[in-house]
Amino acid sequence: MDNVINLKINGKEVTAVKGQTILQVAKENGIDIPNMCYSEKVKVYGACGVCVVEAKGMPKLMRSCATMAAEGMDIETETPRVVQARKVALELMLSDHKGDCRPPCVKACPAGTDCQGYVGLIANGKFDEANKLVKDKFPLPASIGRVCPHPCEQKCRRQAIDDPVQIAFLKRFVGDKALESASSCTPDIAADTGKKVAVIGGGPAGLSAAYHLRRMGHGVTIFDAMPHMGGMLRYGIPEYRLPNTVVDAEVKAIENMGVKLVNNTKINAEKFNELKADYDAVLVAIGAWTSSKMRIPGEDAKGVMGGIDFLRKLALKEESGIGKRVAVVGGGNTAMDACRSAVRAGAEEVYTFYRRTREEMPADKVEVNEAEEEGVIFKFLCNPVEILSKDGVVCGIKAQKMELGEPDASGRRSPVPVEGAFEIVELDTVIMAIGQGTKAEGFEELELTRKGTIVADEKTYMTSVEGVFACGDATNKGADIAIRAIGEAINAAASINEYLGGKKRTFAETSQYDLYSSVEPTFEQIREKHSDKAPVQKIVMSHDNAEERKTNFNEFMHGFTEDEAIREASKCLECGCMDYYECKLINYANRYDCQPGRLAGSIHKAGIEDCNEFIIRDTAKCVLCGLCVRACEEVTGNTALGLVGRGFDTIVAPEMCLALDKSKCTACGLCVSLCPTGALTEKPAMKKAVPLKQTREESVCRFCTNGCKTEVVKHGTALLKVEPAEGVVNLCHNGRFGVCDDDFAYIECGSDYEAAVNAIVEDIKATVNLDLSKPAVAISALHTEAEAKALMAACKKALGDVPVFTLSGGKKLSGKDLELSNEANKQNGKDTVSDIYFGVSADGLAKAGVSSDMNVAKNSTVILAFGEDIDEKTLGISVVKLPNVFEKL
Amino acid sequence: MLRIVVGEGSCGIAAGAAKVYNRLESLINDGVLKDCELSVTGCIGMCYLEPIVDVYTDNERITFVKTDEKFAELLAEKGLGSEEVNAYLIPQADVDRLDKQTRIALRNCGNINPEKIEDYIAAGGYEALKKVLSGMSQDDVINVIKVSGLAGRGGAGFPTWFKWNAAKSSPGEEKYLICNADEGDPGAFMDRAVIESDPHNLIEGMLIGAYAIGAKEAVVYVRAEYPLAIIRLTNAIKQAEAKGYLGENIMGSGFSCKMRIKAGAGAFVCGEETALIESLEGQRGMPRLKPPFPAQSGYWHKPSNINNVETFANVPWIMANGGEAFSSMGTEDSKGTKVFALTGKIKKGGLVEIPMGMTLREVIYDIGNGIKDDKEFKAVQMGGPSGGCIPKDLLDTVIDYKKLGATGAIMGSGGMVVMDETTCMVDMARFFLDFTAKESCGKCVPCRLGTKRMLEILTRIVNGEGKEGDIELLEELCLSIKDGSLCGLGQTAPNPVLTTLKYFRHEYEAHIRDKKCPAKQCKSLISYTIIADKCKGCTLCARNCPVEAISGSVKQPHVIDAEKCIKCGKCKDNCKFNAIEIN
Ligand SMILES: Cc1cc2nc3c(=O)[nH]c(=O)nc-3n(C[C@H](O)[C@H](O)[C@H](O)COP(=O)(O)O)c2cc1C
Ligand code: SF4
Ligand code: SF4
Ligand code: SF4
Ligand code: FES
Repeated sequence: MDNVINLKINGKEVTAVKGQTILQVAKENGIDIPNMCYSEKVKVYGACGVCVVEAKGMPKLMRSCATMAAEGMDIETETPRVVQARKVALELMLSDHKGDCRPPCVKACPAGTDCQGYVGLIANGKFDEANKLVKDKFPLPASIGRVCPHPCEQKCRRQAIDDPVQIAFLKRFVGDKALESASSCTPDIAADTGKKVAVIGGGPAGLSAAYHLRRMGHGVTIFDAMPHMGGMLRYGIPEYRLPNTVVDAEVKAIENMGVKLVNNTKINAEKFNELKADYDAVLVAIGAWTSSKMRIPGEDAKGVMGGIDFLRKLALKEESGIGKRVAVVGGGNTAMDACRSAVRAGAEEVYTFYRRTREEMPADKVEVNEAEEEGVIFKFLCNPVEILSKDGVVCGIKAQKMELGEPDASGRRSPVPVEGAFEIVELDTVIMAIGQGTKAEGFEELELTRKGTIVADEKTYMTSVEGVFACGDATNKGADIAIRAIGEAINAAASINEYLGGKKRTFAETSQYDLYSSVEPTFEQIREKHSDKAPVQKIVMSHDNAEERKTNFNEFMHGFTEDEAIREASKCLECGCMDYYECKLINYANRYDCQPGRLAGSIHKAGIEDCNEFIIRDTAKCVLCGLCVRACEEVTGNTALGLVGRGFDTIVAPEMCLALDKSKCTACGLCVSLCPTGALTEKPAMKKAVPLKQTREESVCRFCTNGCKTEVVKHGTALLKVEPAEGVVNLCHNGRFGVCDDDFAYIECGSDYEAAVNAIVEDIKATVNLDLSKPAVAISALHTEAEAKALMAACKKALGDVPVFTLSGGKKLSGKDLELSNEANKQNGKDTVSDIYFGVSADGLAKAGVSSDMNVAKNSTVILAFGEDIDEKTLGISVVKLPNVFEKL
Repeated sequence: MLRIVVGEGSCGIAAGAAKVYNRLESLINDGVLKDCELSVTGCIGMCYLEPIVDVYTDNERITFVKTDEKFAELLAEKGLGSEEVNAYLIPQADVDRLDKQTRIALRNCGNINPEKIEDYIAAGGYEALKKVLSGMSQDDVINVIKVSGLAGRGGAGFPTWFKWNAAKSSPGEEKYLICNADEGDPGAFMDRAVIESDPHNLIEGMLIGAYAIGAKEAVVYVRAEYPLAIIRLTNAIKQAEAKGYLGENIMGSGFSCKMRIKAGAGAFVCGEETALIESLEGQRGMPRLKPPFPAQSGYWHKPSNINNVETFANVPWIMANGGEAFSSMGTEDSKGTKVFALTGKIKKGGLVEIPMGMTLREVIYDIGNGIKDDKEFKAVQMGGPSGGCIPKDLLDTVIDYKKLGATGAIMGSGGMVVMDETTCMVDMARFFLDFTAKESCGKCVPCRLGTKRMLEILTRIVNGEGKEGDIELLEELCLSIKDGSLCGLGQTAPNPVLTTLKYFRHEYEAHIRDKKCPAKQCKSLISYTIIADKCKGCTLCARNCPVEAISGSVKQPHVIDAEKCIKCGKCKDNCKFNAIEIN
């Protein structure tokens, strides 16, 4: 056959049909050539220059999207020259592409937890999915959600409007939810690898590392010196903040995954050697358990103790040995834990000495306020210079009075002594809470820093000894907040995994674009961008007042209710790009290790445009691939979008530069599907938009008898959107955006409507927990008249007299809808234009007593919608929780 | 009987030719100037001498230059040959300059009345078409062009016969011939001169081309900024139609061809042939991917041929005189003549047509009379923003596609900008890049964004904010843009930067490292000071300073306040004692 062409791609002999481009041939043969401006749905354009390849004997690089395969070609798709050309093209695009790939909260979290993701899922009521998302990063949401100083919230942009989203408490909320339903969420565990890892230390770092290593299929044993796992979470944080039961429950879940827990076992040098011999890798995560000293006279008097030593004694239910008058020295969270615990342990006078002022205190402001409410007396600008004692027993503190001097290099105003001004306070006990250190006893074999912490490679987490890794408070810079140790544990686990697989991982290779974003906007800019959002009253978590709580160690913060959690989460401003998981640009930028700053320069004028009810344009992210413009012209014939301007100022704009909804746009969503970046995104099927990892399932559209093949895009059980399946050129508006409600329950129902309706009503009562007082029923015009009548009868039986109205994508199926779907059909190469409509028209339904007026449902609390299913098996009944979504349509 | 002809090209009109014409006309009407016939002609290429008036007696042509209304009056009053009138005679040096040229494309320019087909016919016009239509086959015509060695004058220099042959051989009944008169290079006006001064030459050339490829429709894409050209061409088309040279069954040969004009919207990129076609079809002017080439799939996706105005303007001459006559001129590689628009720091600029093979030195010094104000020659920019510069030590390069290409510059469409010692080469490169960056159609990434980034780098260099590594970054971008752009605009945009980097790298380095502009042009890198010894205290500088940055009392040395100075240079221009220097 002379129609067949033989050529080589990357050394592989392949065949092509005459007229095929190199890109197409490569794709058929599983070779991925990156491309930004190509789509098989439109004519070749050749603008981005990313698809270039090199052919032997050809002096110039070729655009594979535009070059026909020819006999005898010898193509290479990833030569250094090709890579360089792609990189420059991508860097140029990135230089004029502005947007937050990831939100500030995620970027602020040392463990990279997907705050926006789980906050968004909570807002949509998807608590299970939210929990899964958190647990993808670490196993202790209920614990960490209670105690984390939440750097994420410091960066949360919502504070420009009212207060930051209470991200940590939301994390606690999903963590608690998961603990309530024991069944939920043992993560998937990979098949056993046969490798064994010993983790020394069962604190947040050790537990998290063990969790990840176990998920990767390794056998893991945690050794810990204390009677229970949890480390500082259990022994350094008082129970009124984090009850043991919570830590225990989360530890238990880790144990249930098959992690072996060995307590009361301190690892000395000899035991360490054994572990090294017996295990394939060892992770040292022993934390920082020694209290730092102030090095002032009298510090070794009886009655002076370290902050964490005091807290540990309380946790172990040992005699704390404090007197009636207690002073805590320090301004951090441990100092707050110590002074508030001292109050609870029965001290009558509790002081906190801090050498600067309240403003400079590193402790959480809430903690300081609560301590004060509980009666702690703050001695600001007071620096202890001597501990006074009588017969070797503490009797007071002599403190130097301070004042704030000039700001230092870091901008903090440093305290300077006020000449000759001292204060003496009489005391029984002094608790030093000024810092922690590590004593790496038994690990002397490892290289240590001058501070005594273990040296761990910043990229691989390996110590000076092959196969021994270390992370968390015990390493390098020393003690920090728990979530940072967890972040290190996540990376260390990945590194150990690579090591066990025979590779050496370096974290320089992790994608820098994950964290790429524009300059942080000012509060003013944030308010401008979100001018539609009014400040709302802060949701204060229910709690016990100071008088009640100061007498005991019971937890006094009681967690959010579901409603509170949803309301709180709904405040999220959705800062991070919705296209993060689909964006080709970020994907390639990471693949080719692009450096965003190298070609940085000015940025074209751009803004966000809320085009219509279905589409959002963020022109700052447009890379001018022209796909939207071309698709709109070539595929739909609408020419609703065009290119305007020349040179750098070229932009995509709706025709005549009007708003898109004033153009001929039919909201088919094709441009959104083709846009390789986040410049065009669809409004979400869920109530709140959330960037989420996606799975895609083939399905068939049921809006009309044409049955276009669709792809249902989901995250877990959450429906994100519907797109045309591969090979399908376009869907009509109904197919693309019709399925847009926030909660669908699918029931296999066949023709026994009564049973189906009853089942779903039971289900709502039992689990979904919805208010069924004012139900309504929506029936799609897809049903036959007989079916419609049967459905109505079934509903009447189950629910009483309910309003019934028609529904088809929330719309009455009109002649126009029919036209649209037929148009889509023609584009997809079907010549039969459907003329018989499956079911009855709106008029027909009206005859069966079904109103077409959706207002009848406005006041309903819940709607059962029949006929709007999204996959073939479950011809379905859908429950629509919030009737007001219909106002959207 | 005297025939008085006023040069009314755009350049002549700009210099006041219409006033001269009107005065002459009223003098004739009033009977003061007797026995005279008045007419107009186009541009002869010596724009610095406009308004030019030719007076034809029965046996000679007398040329008067830089004329005015006074000249008309003197002519009437004192008569031809009088001392007063002779004061306007063209200097011999300028006559010699004309003689050094060889005029083929411009052969009628400035000699005939462009508004009268009779003048063109009298000069032998439409004879070539007659010859072609009376018995030559399409292949015969293409063969003559092949023998002539004519190459496209629009910039790329592609052999014309080859394109014609490809379009002719492409299957299909419906074919188009297009003339590219978009002429977007800043400073170029070769094509405008041809259309304004000799429109029938273009029409005849196009008809021969249309016959050769088998096109029944021809379109001239003219930039809308050329209103006079459009008027004269429209008029010429009507005349040719009336005479039966255009339209159905031309000269009874059975060959039919229509012709129309399309006024372009003025984007530079619309001169690129495929963008031009898009624009003709009513789309946004953006280049198409090649292949397919226009010869296979062009206007309305039918086989089409596009040539430049000057290319067509050579065709009637070649058909009349034979291919060998044309190819006998020039070099091994480049045949015939080429028209250049000589501008910049040159004494006698204008339009010149010279045989291929002349050296740059000959053009600049013998025809252009050397550098203005007798300054030092520094470089010449060939081919406008797509071209490159050629430095002093390559002045003996001959004008030839290959030889010019070897320097890094190009022949281009005919722009030749001469630069002297006061030109900053970095700033020059920046100027051209500014043009291309703005004119990029915005389609491809390297061109749209790469040129912008290059421009930003060049701008920071001339502003004294250049950084180590900028030169290397420029070079990297140059190569990426050349390699990665779709059309000629992007592919050639880096040329000015590449050639200045090649020949004047030290100027870049001086800007970046020493924060100095060797040509003393970049405002951020210079300062004006008054040399106290030389200053006579005449106060002229202070009076001319627009921002009152200069102080000093009469007869005392003056000083410039560097804070206030905006570096306009007015003080230096006005100082009679050379007391102001630039550092
Ligand atoms: C950016 C760009 C601008 C151009 N502008 C013109 C122009 O103004 N006039 C012209 O004749 N050719 C121009 N060209 C060249 C044309 O693409 C084409 O090569 C030419 O019209 C062919 O005619 P020729 O073979 O007679 O030269 C331009 C090319 C590019 C890339
Ligand atoms: S508003 Fe939402 S996405 Fe933005 S920082 Fe706050 S929680 Fe994160
Ligand atoms: S908005 Fe249009 S031109 Fe811009 S990146 Fe998306 S598809 Fe491409
Ligand atoms: S090289 Fe420039 S002008 Fe040419 S197609 Fe690309 S963007 Fe347009
Ligand atoms: S140039 Fe080929 S995909 Fe963009």
